[in-house]
Amino acid sequence: MDLFNALTSAVFDVLLAPFGYRLAWFDLVLWPVLAGIGALLVYKKVSNQAGIAAAKQRIMVHILAVVIYRDDILGVLRSTARALGWNVRYLAHNVVPLLVMIVPMTVLMVQLVAHFAYRPLEKGDVRLLEVALDPESGVSPKAVQLQVPQGVAVDAGPVRTPDGQVVWRLKMQDEGDFTLRLTAGDEAQNKALAVGGGPRKVPVLRSKTWEALLYPGEAALPRKSAFESIRVAADERDVSPLPGGEGGIVLWFFGTSLVAGFLLRNRFGVTL
Amino acid sequence: MLAVAGLAGLSAVAWSPPAMAYIGPGAGFAFAGSLLLIVAAVGLAVLIILAWPFTVAWRLIRVGNPFKHATAKRVVIVGLDGMDPGIATRLMQEGRLPNLQGLAGRGVFRPLDTSNPSMSPVAWSTFSTGVDPSLHGIYDFLTRDPCTYAPVLSSTDIGEAKKVLNIGKYLIPLEKPRIKLLRKGTPFWKLLGDRHIHSTIQRVPITFPPEPFRGLLLSGMCVPDLRGSQGTFSFFSTAQQDGQAAFTGGEQTVLRRNKEGTIRSRIVGPDNGMVKGSPRMTLPFSLHVASDRRTARLEVEGSPPVTLELERYSEWVTLSFDAGLGIQVKGIARFYLVSLEPEVSLYMTPIHIDPENPAMPISHPAVYSVYLAKLLGPFATLGLAEDTWALNERVIDEKAFFEQAMLICEERERMLFEALDHTSKGLVTTVFDTTDRVQHMFYRYLDPTHPANRDKEATAYADAIFRVYQHMDAMLGKLLAKVGDDPDTVVIVMSDHGFTNFRRGVNLNAWLRDEGYLVLKDGAHTSGDWFGQVDWSRTRAFSLGLTGMFINRKGREKSGIVEEGDEYVGLIAEIMRKLEALVDPATGQRCVRKVRSAIASADGPYRFDAPDLLVGYEGGYRNSWECATGAVTEEVFSDNTKSWSGDHCVDPEVVPGVFFSNRAIAVDAPHIADIPVSVLRLFGQKPLHQMKGRMLFATPGQPAEVRGPVEPERILQSGAAPGARVHLPGKDVAHG
Repeated sequence: MDLFNALTSAVFDVLLAPFGYRLAWFDLVLWPVLAGIGALLVYKKVSNQAGIAAAKQRIMVHILAVVIYRDDILGVLRSTARALGWNVRYLAHNVVPLLVMIVPMTVLMVQLVAHFAYRPLEKGDVRLLEVALDPESGVSPKAVQLQVPQGVAVDAGPVRTPDGQVVWRLKMQDEGDFTLRLTAGDEAQNKALAVGGGPRKVPVLRSKTWEALLYPGEAALPRKSAFESIRVAADERDVSPLPGGEGGIVLWFFGTSLVAGFLLRNRFGVTL
Repeated sequence: MLAVAGLAGLSAVAWSPPAMAYIGPGAGFAFAGSLLLIVAAVGLAVLIILAWPFTVAWRLIRVGNPFKHATAKRVVIVGLDGMDPGIATRLMQEGRLPNLQGLAGRGVFRPLDTSNPSMSPVAWSTFSTGVDPSLHGIYDFLTRDPCTYAPVLSSTDIGEAKKVLNIGKYLIPLEKPRIKLLRKGTPFWKLLGDRHIHSTIQRVPITFPPEPFRGLLLSGMCVPDLRGSQGTFSFFSTAQQDGQAAFTGGEQTVLRRNKEGTIRSRIVGPDNGMVKGSPRMTLPFSLHVASDRRTARLEVEGSPPVTLELERYSEWVTLSFDAGLGIQVKGIARFYLVSLEPEVSLYMTPIHIDPENPAMPISHPAVYSVYLAKLLGPFATLGLAEDTWALNERVIDEKAFFEQAMLICEERERMLFEALDHTSKGLVTTVFDTTDRVQHMFYRYLDPTHPANRDKEATAYADAIFRVYQHMDAMLGKLLAKVGDDPDTVVIVMSDHGFTNFRRGVNLNAWLRDEGYLVLKDGAHTSGDWFGQVDWSRTRAFSLGLTGMFINRKGREKSGIVEEGDEYVGLIAEIMRKLEALVDPATGQRCVRKVRSAIASADGPYRFDAPDLLVGYEGGYRNSWECATGAVTEEVFSDNTKSWSGDHCVDPEVVPGVFFSNRAIAVDAPHIADIPVSVLRLFGQKPLHQMKGRMLFATPGQPAEVRGPVEPERILQSGAAPGARVHLPGKDVAHG
């Protein structure tokens, strides 16, 4: 995971660099459109275009039959069932392109989220540091200790729960990129914290599960770590007029790449 | 249930957490589209199912059980345009039409008396409405504009939108262009629809633009091509004479090869009414001839490349013309590589209106043609789809024409069977034109001495007409097998007219000139098309179209000089008498069998706009090509040397159609006007009072005494008409 995240981050840190973090809207328009075009080209290459065209044709035929033969109620039911049957075939034709595209598209979306979804914390902000322990590690929450750097203060806590959660409330006293240090027995792990300054890639979560793929801002936790995840919630960055935050960017990416692909399908000669 | 499933699907996607949306656009294309389709299909079905009880209740209140008095639940009419009872009888006697023979044996076969004039637009209008031409107003393909004497299409009035937005070079229409069906009267399928009896009507002539009714209709004859004409082919050839195209007719383009051997040219499309001056829209294409000189690669802008094989039709190619402002006008055409050496010659059919994206209304409802195209693939939509003009101009040969006609016939068959699949109750009517077109173009093969055989090959397609009859018979076999022994289904096979020879053309305008009824401008002895040299101030009569003669009547025609009353009556009597005595000096035979006065022989309101005289020729004769277009030639009589060598624009008694049915009938001499009345009666419905036809089938308590095939001796007319010749294997028999 670390290698994968490191590689993809290295690539996208370079690709997104020309316009920096300040022109978020530009990257958030450009990349989904390019993704839509890329998806079209891949789709054209790996999908059964003739099969898709035929399936769509048949679906349309049966929908039109519903309209045309609407006085024949049995015919309507028959045509509806056939339209749905062909719909299943249509979806089946999309499995291969889906498998091919799912990884690059996810990486692109994750990178856009990592770069543009959050803003650094501000001086004076109070945030929770949430640590989850791996229940199989056998480490007690009482064994978890926190060291904070100059500029970050422990406002309250820790609060330890029986299900392996340890929570501190932190207060940001200064601006800067800080590193929190957490120990559990012999193991020590760091967690980055971005406070103040201009927009940049904000570290949100370290995890040892698959979730780490979605947060490439920091290295994943080692597989044998007693820590399952370490999180400091960040605020959503305002990228208006575009929708911001994790969900907003994902939906924006999803919608824009779809629209771009749809509008350009004829130019690229692709049957969707 | 389905609606619930659809809504569940919608909810699942709408409320999925953002992480789930990471599947990306690849899946998004599929799932979003798929979901829309599910919602559309299920939503429509739910709407229809919910509305169904109300629809049924409404129907019960309004019409009760529409089939309560019906003696048939389903009627299937197969129209075989131009099928001739003489030829059919011959082929049945030879055992070559087993299914028609079987149908006649189970039910009946009789000649079918037709309309006057005996031509498709007239006869099929009578079939549709159950009334004669004086009530439906169609007497010919063409009529004259009484204000200008110019020809106008008698079936349809097409005009541009009057309200337009003028922006720069564009004229954006703010209303639909005017497209009006000029055929009057009420088609019988509308009456059935009003009583909630469903009809599917496919390609019945003179149904463009389609009239709304409760049922499905695909327009037939008189649907224009994308250029607005009745069928303009394109011919691209490197052959030339003095820098001009070597052939005539259609859209001729002289091709030139570049250094690499590639040919580039443009397809000429329709006028662009959205741009001032209405320039022609064109589409660039290139043709790359393969090194083996057997194929060529055709690349038309906006369409996938097509590999053309020598002397084989391409599939339909979609042609998208850019009208500007993002508007595309779409048509379809087939290509046929006529030759690759020494000259490269490429034929393109007229550009048919694309049924999947129709530029004009060609079906009711509008989505019906879209449905058929998506289900069965693109199909010919042009009214006169088989390109007789191209063969007449010898741009294509008999092989190319025959193949084209059969391709269209196969498309029509698929439509018919699709309609049958969806019709357990109601009416299905499909008209096949192939029988008509092939007889027009191949009749000369039945007559070895036909003038059209001069300089033409005259044996290779000697059996073309018979092959078409046999093909239709085989199709009927499939239909009868599908229908089975269902006693509630009545099958009718019919034609609008028969066929006869067309050896000699008669220029009635030249005859009128010689007789002093038509006067040319001083110094002129002949005139080009459309009466160019006619002096209307001294002309009393003129002929336009295929059988009609007009009197230049005062108060009706712009420069009319013939007074109503005695002068008019005396004049038509005089012309009738002289015409019926007209003798062809080449044969010594009378060429006109009967001349009828349109006013005296009918009582409908449109008889006053009709040609005053309807000339009924003997078999073997017809208005000459020049006469039909208002030209005045030197000679009255001329040999017909065109490939169009058979015809039916003669006296209606010479060319009856055919009537086959799986039920015996009660009338010995059926008329085409009887069919709509009979169908209405079969479904237990009352015809309109102006429908003068009879119920052909027996009603309860009445015997159906007319059954079986007609005795061959009674087929005195049609293919055995005077002047016509019927080819029998081994011996040629000339009649008359």
